[in-house]
Amino acid sequence: MAHYAQSKVYESTNEGSKFSLLGCEALKTAQMQQQSQQAPPPHSTSTPPPAPPSSTGGSAAEAPPKQVALAMDKLGEAERIIADIRIGADRVLEALFVAASQPRHGTKPLQLFLKEDACMRRYLQDLRSLGKELEESGVLSESVRSRKDFWGLHMPLVCPDGAMVAYAWKRQLAGQAGASAVDRTRLALKAFTDQKRRFFPHLDYGLETNESASKKRCGSVESTVDPKEESSILKMLPDVLNYPSSNKLRLGSLGTVATEKVAVIEMLVPSTFRVVISLHPAGSTDPDAVAFFAPEESGSYVHARGFSVHHVFRHITDYAATALQYFLGNQVESSLYCLLHWICSYQTLFSRPCSKCSRLLAADKQSAFLLPPVLRPYWQFSLSKILSTISSKDHTSDITPAYHVGCFSEEL
Amino acid sequence: MTVKWILHWTPTPGSVVNSQILSEISQCVESFVNAVKDGRWKATLTFYRPNLRDQSIPSEFPRDFLGISLLEQPNKYYFIIRGNKIILEADSTILTIMEKLQSYKSKVALNFEGVQYKMGDFQMKVVKVVPNQAESLRGILIEIEYLPLSSIEKAKPIMEEFLEVWREVMSKKSLPGHFTQTEPHFAEYKLPDNYTSQHTAIQYAAALAQLIQSAQLRG
Repeated sequence: MAHYAQSKVYESTNEGSKFSLLGCEALKTAQMQQQSQQAPPPHSTSTPPPAPPSSTGGSAAEAPPKQVALAMDKLGEAERIIADIRIGADRVLEALFVAASQPRHGTKPLQLFLKEDACMRRYLQDLRSLGKELEESGVLSESVRSRKDFWGLHMPLVCPDGAMVAYAWKRQLAGQAGASAVDRTRLALKAFTDQKRRFFPHLDYGLETNESASKKRCGSVESTVDPKEESSILKMLPDVLNYPSSNKLRLGSLGTVATEKVAVIEMLVPSTFRVVISLHPAGSTDPDAVAFFAPEESGSYVHARGFSVHHVFRHITDYAATALQYFLGNQVESSLYCLLHWICSYQTLFSRPCSKCSRLLAADKQSAFLLPPVLRPYWQFSLSKILSTISSKDHTSDITPAYHVGCFSEEL
Repeated sequence: MTVKWILHWTPTPGSVVNSQILSEISQCVESFVNAVKDGRWKATLTFYRPNLRDQSIPSEFPRDFLGISLLEQPNKYYFIIRGNKIILEADSTILTIMEKLQSYKSKVALNFEGVQYKMGDFQMKVVKVVPNQAESLRGILIEIEYLPLSSIEKAKPIMEEFLEVWREVMSKKSLPGHFTQTEPHFAEYKLPDNYTSQHTAIQYAAALAQLIQSAQLRG
C-alpha cells in the first residue's frame, strides 16, 4: 500500500515537477502579458495610421470608448485569473509536500493534488482564451508594441483625420475625435438606411432603377388581370410558398419590382384600382403594409404606407390594414396568398351592390359622402378554401359579399 | 381625366328657365351630401358660319360648326362638327389663324358659367348658359364628376346611382322641370373609353343642341 502510494507520489511528483515547470512558465507568460497589458492598454486600441481605428477590431458595432471599457474589464479578469493561478500553484506544491511527507494518509493527498491539478488547468485554459479575445480586439497587437521607442514610451498617434495626438486612448475616451465621429456617422447612417429600407422600400426601388423604373411601371399598367389569368397566377403562389428559401417571387403579368429581392408588389386592376404591398424583409413572402389607390393616381405618396386622395380608397386601405393583421396572425404561411386573393375580390368594387341594402352607393355615417360598398369580409379567405375554389374551376362567380360601412356593422 | 356626366335642365312645357330656378337648384346642391363650394368655372361655345362672298352655295359647308374652349384646358380649342361626328382638339393659337384667314365668322357665342361643389369623391357643377354679350339666362346645366375613375364604362353604375339619389333630392323641391341627359355617342366620334376633355366638349355641344332644340319647340 505504502509502496503503491509512494509510486503514485513519484508519478505525481514527476507530474508535479512537470506541472511546477508548467506553472512557472504560466506565471512567466502571465507576468509578461501583465506587463505589456499594464502599459497603457487603451493606447493599443488604435492601430497604426493606415488602418482605420478600433472599429475594425472584433466588436465592430461598438464605439471606441465602449471597446476601451470592455478591454479594461477583460484585463481585470485576466489579473484575477493570474492571481488564482498563483494561489493554485501554491496549493499544488502544498499538496505535493503533504503527499511526500505523510505517505500513510493514503489517497487523500492524491485526491487533493488531482483537484488542484484540474483547477490549474482550468485557470490556464481561461487565461489562454482571454488572451485570444484580447488579441482579437486589438489590445495586444504586435505593431503597437513595436512602436515603443528606446525609452519605452509610445509614439504619438496620427489619427485618420490627420490630427496628431500624444495619447490616442485619451482622445477616444473623451469621445470627441474626428475618427470616432466618422464611425459614429457611419453607424448612424447604417441604422437609418436599415429603417428606410424597411419602411420605405419604394424609395430604394426608385433609386436603383431610375429610368427603367418608370418604364417598368408603364409595363405593369399594360398588363391586365382578368379572372382566368389571375387564378392561374395565384395557383403559382402555393408553389412559391413551398420553397421558403426562394428569394424571387414570380408573379407573371402582375406588376412586380423584380430586382434582386422583391420588396414591393404593385397590382393594377385596369380602370378600377391599384394596390401596393410591401414585403418585409425583402425577398420574403410576409406582407408588411398594403394601400389602395385610384388607377390614375401618381405621386410620391403612392406607396404601401401612403393614403389615396379619394375617400373610397382611404376606407379600403384602413380596412385592408385590419385584414392584413388577420392574415398575418391566422394564416401565417400563406398570408400573402390570402391577402392577394382578398384584394382580387375588390375587382367588383364599382359594380357589385351591397349585399345588405342592394344599392351601390350609400352615405357614409361620418362624412355623409356617397361611397360604394368598401368592405369585403376577409375571414373567409384561408388557403384551403381558396385552393378548393380554384380547383373547382369556378371562375365565373365571385361570391364574396360586399358591404357598405354602415350596412356591415349591423351584420356583425 | 375623371368621368363627367352633363345634364341639361328641361323645363316642363309652359314654364320658363329663370334665375330663380337656378338659385333653387344651387341650394339643392349645396345642401346635398355635405357639399363644399369649390370655385368657379367657365367655358365658351361659338357657332361658326362660313364667310362666303357668294351666299348661294352654303350647303357644302357644315351648318353646325362649333368651337369650344374649356377652363381646364387653357391651351386647347375644340372644333366639333356634329353632323359628321367630328371632333378636333387644336392648340388655342388656331384662333389667331382663323382671324387671319377670315374664312369663318363667329355667328353666336355663348358662355357657360359654373359654380363647382365638392362632395367626397364626387364633384358637381351648376352651370348657367348666357349669351356672350347679354345677361339673360338661356339654360341650366349640371355636371357630375366621379373623381376616382377615368373609365366611362366602369363609372356608369356609380354615376347612374348618383343621379338617382340626386333626382330624389330634386323631386322634393318640386320644381317645374327636370334634368335630362343627352346620349353623347362617344363611340361615333371614335373616342376611347378613357375620359378626356374631348368627351367634355362633345357633351356640352350635345347639351346645348338639346337646349336650342327645346327652346325652338317652345317657340
